[in-house]
Amino acid sequence: MRFPVRLLLSILVLSALLPARLAHSALSKEQMHEMLNTLDDRQRNNGDYKALVYLEQKEKDKTDIVREAIVYRRSADQKLMILFSKPKSEQGKGYLRLEKNLWSYDPNVGKWERRTERERIAGTDSRRADFDESRLAEEYEPSDEGEDKLGAYSVHRLSLKVKEGVDVAFPLVKLWVDNGTMNILKRQEFALSGKLMRTLYYPRWQKLYSESKQGDFWYPPEIRIYDEVEKANSTIVLIKTVDLRSLETNIFTKAWFESKSR
Amino acid sequence: MLQLLLIATRNLVQQRRRTLLLGGAIGGVTALLVILIELSTGLRSTILRSATTLMTGHVNVAGFYKITAGQSAPVVTQYEKVLGIVQRTVPELDYIVERGRGWAKVISDTGSVQIGIGGVDIQHEPGLHKVLRISKGKLDDLAQPNTILIFEEQAEKLGVTVGDTLTLSAPTTRGTNNTLDVQVVAIARNLGLLSAFNAFIPVGSLRALYQFREDTTGALMLYLKQQEPSAKLVNDVHARLRNALEKAGYALMDHDNKPFWQKFESVNREDWTGQKLDVTNWDDEISFVMYTVTALDVLTGVLTFVLLVIIAVGVMNTMWIAIRERTREVGTLRAIGMQRSRVLWMFVTEAFVLGLSATALGAVTGMIICGLLNAAQISVPTGVRLFLMSDKLTLLIDPLKIALSVAFITFCTSAISLIPSLLAARMKPITAMHYIG
Repeated sequence: MRFPVRLLLSILVLSALLPARLAHSALSKEQMHEMLNTLDDRQRNNGDYKALVYLEQKEKDKTDIVREAIVYRRSADQKLMILFSKPKSEQGKGYLRLEKNLWSYDPNVGKWERRTERERIAGTDSRRADFDESRLAEEYEPSDEGEDKLGAYSVHRLSLKVKEGVDVAFPLVKLWVDNGTMNILKRQEFALSGKLMRTLYYPRWQKLYSESKQGDFWYPPEIRIYDEVEKANSTIVLIKTVDLRSLETNIFTKAWFESKSR
Repeated sequence: MLQLLLIATRNLVQQRRRTLLLGGAIGGVTALLVILIELSTGLRSTILRSATTLMTGHVNVAGFYKITAGQSAPVVTQYEKVLGIVQRTVPELDYIVERGRGWAKVISDTGSVQIGIGGVDIQHEPGLHKVLRISKGKLDDLAQPNTILIFEEQAEKLGVTVGDTLTLSAPTTRGTNNTLDVQVVAIARNLGLLSAFNAFIPVGSLRALYQFREDTTGALMLYLKQQEPSAKLVNDVHARLRNALEKAGYALMDHDNKPFWQKFESVNREDWTGQKLDVTNWDDEISFVMYTVTALDVLTGVLTFVLLVIIAVGVMNTMWIAIRERTREVGTLRAIGMQRSRVLWMFVTEAFVLGLSATALGAVTGMIICGLLNAAQISVPTGVRLFLMSDKLTLLIDPLKIALSVAFITFCTSAISLIPSLLAARMKPITAMHYIG
């Protein structure tokens, strides 16, 4: 009787892989929540935030556009403001988030419009959440997808589903978290139907010492966003000159925004 | 009379070839007319059923609210008071649907469309369950807030399926644009023109989009107990409602035979503010689609007229030939004492028998063809679907209309035979007997 060599090889390979796979998977619910809290906490400043941001938009059959904006944030009441300064056609346009409502302003028409979480910021592939504080633990329920490899990095994969009643741009998210640094390296976002909508890569992370937090504050200086619906479209978000000093008290108002838009 | 019938039938049988040819032509026209009538009846019935569910009740109490003279919203404020009056005034009422009305830009990740948005309370919309054919998802999921039902062609245009999210963008009455994210929970099969411009979301979500209060709605749609109520009943209910609402102190708009979205321009031009109610009938609200039925009716009429003229010429010619061939027979009959009127009736009866038997046969053939077409469940092309308001060809038999068609064509063929018959009757017996054809 001939011994099935292929079968023997398969059994050997499987038996070599299986224990390793089992050893790293199955985080408990508490561990997963802890992981999300850590991810959020690392990117939280517990104070004010100001950054110069560049958005490089690439669209199929169109010329690339680079926009410059200043992003203002305040952790205490979850406020956010994005004020575009370049190019000239975009100058004075922007977004203001007040009490979980995202408002868009266009100085050319002088009107505020309420937008949803799915709003493409300035028509790019970016969303409000890409510029805001991370609130993964508050917004999503995690489930474990075990260990994986992302290039040279050893990562842990988490699958997130939006909590009931929470308004987010995408209800399903997958995260690739670097085991060594606890930085998010890749993020995929899905519609409820399971359709992949965006893929984001975070090639670098930087840290700053935050006075208000009394600890390190981590941010990605570059985010590469790929539109998975219109495959040829993508956006690169570059975050420069981050300033964690306190901002003016009345900065997050429509009046202040309009005054800067003139 | 029986003698005349016997002579007519024998003559027709004797001239078998001619009878078959002429009878075939008359029968063919009748069959065509029957098919067109059944198509028109089917179309009217489909439109009535679809439109009275998607867009309108048999009678509607809607209206406009104007904050300023030039800015109007299609809403009824404090609608519960109006609802009370309606319930007291219309005993023929089967049920009432409270329907929000809006017009919004629906945005997906790959495209956008401008469509009318109906705000529905799906648990109290029995008509929608009957008319909409869901191809994906569940209609009852529309009970969840921030959900949407769209039609297949919209889903295709927007590149979405059940579970995907769409953003609705619409201006509120104050002029500020508001947006709302909604999840696609159901995709319905297309219903022609009506489905191209309609989508449904929960009425609460529509209020959130337009920032309306809880006691505001778009229209109260009244459905009467009769499924296809007569125009008289609808007009009667309409008049009664106008009286009752006027008595209750409501300002009413003048009756205008247009759907609500065609009234914005004229309402914005008028110099009033506040609430005005508008009582409309189903045919007002769908007047913009009824032109397809009218067009088909006109086409049927024109086609019937042309074919009837051709048949008339055929019948007259045939009668001329018959009379010429039978001139000596007519002379003999007259010589042995047959009255002129009897000769006249002899030929008219022949045309009548031919007309009646051919039209009856044609009508039966037409009905059989319609039955077969219905059974075959023929899918119509997209272009035709727009006008048929259905993805399947539906023909509806209306016995009264068919009987009238048979009677009309028979009458026409008989009437046209009067001229040659009169001339035959006026012939002198001696001349007729000496006629050499």
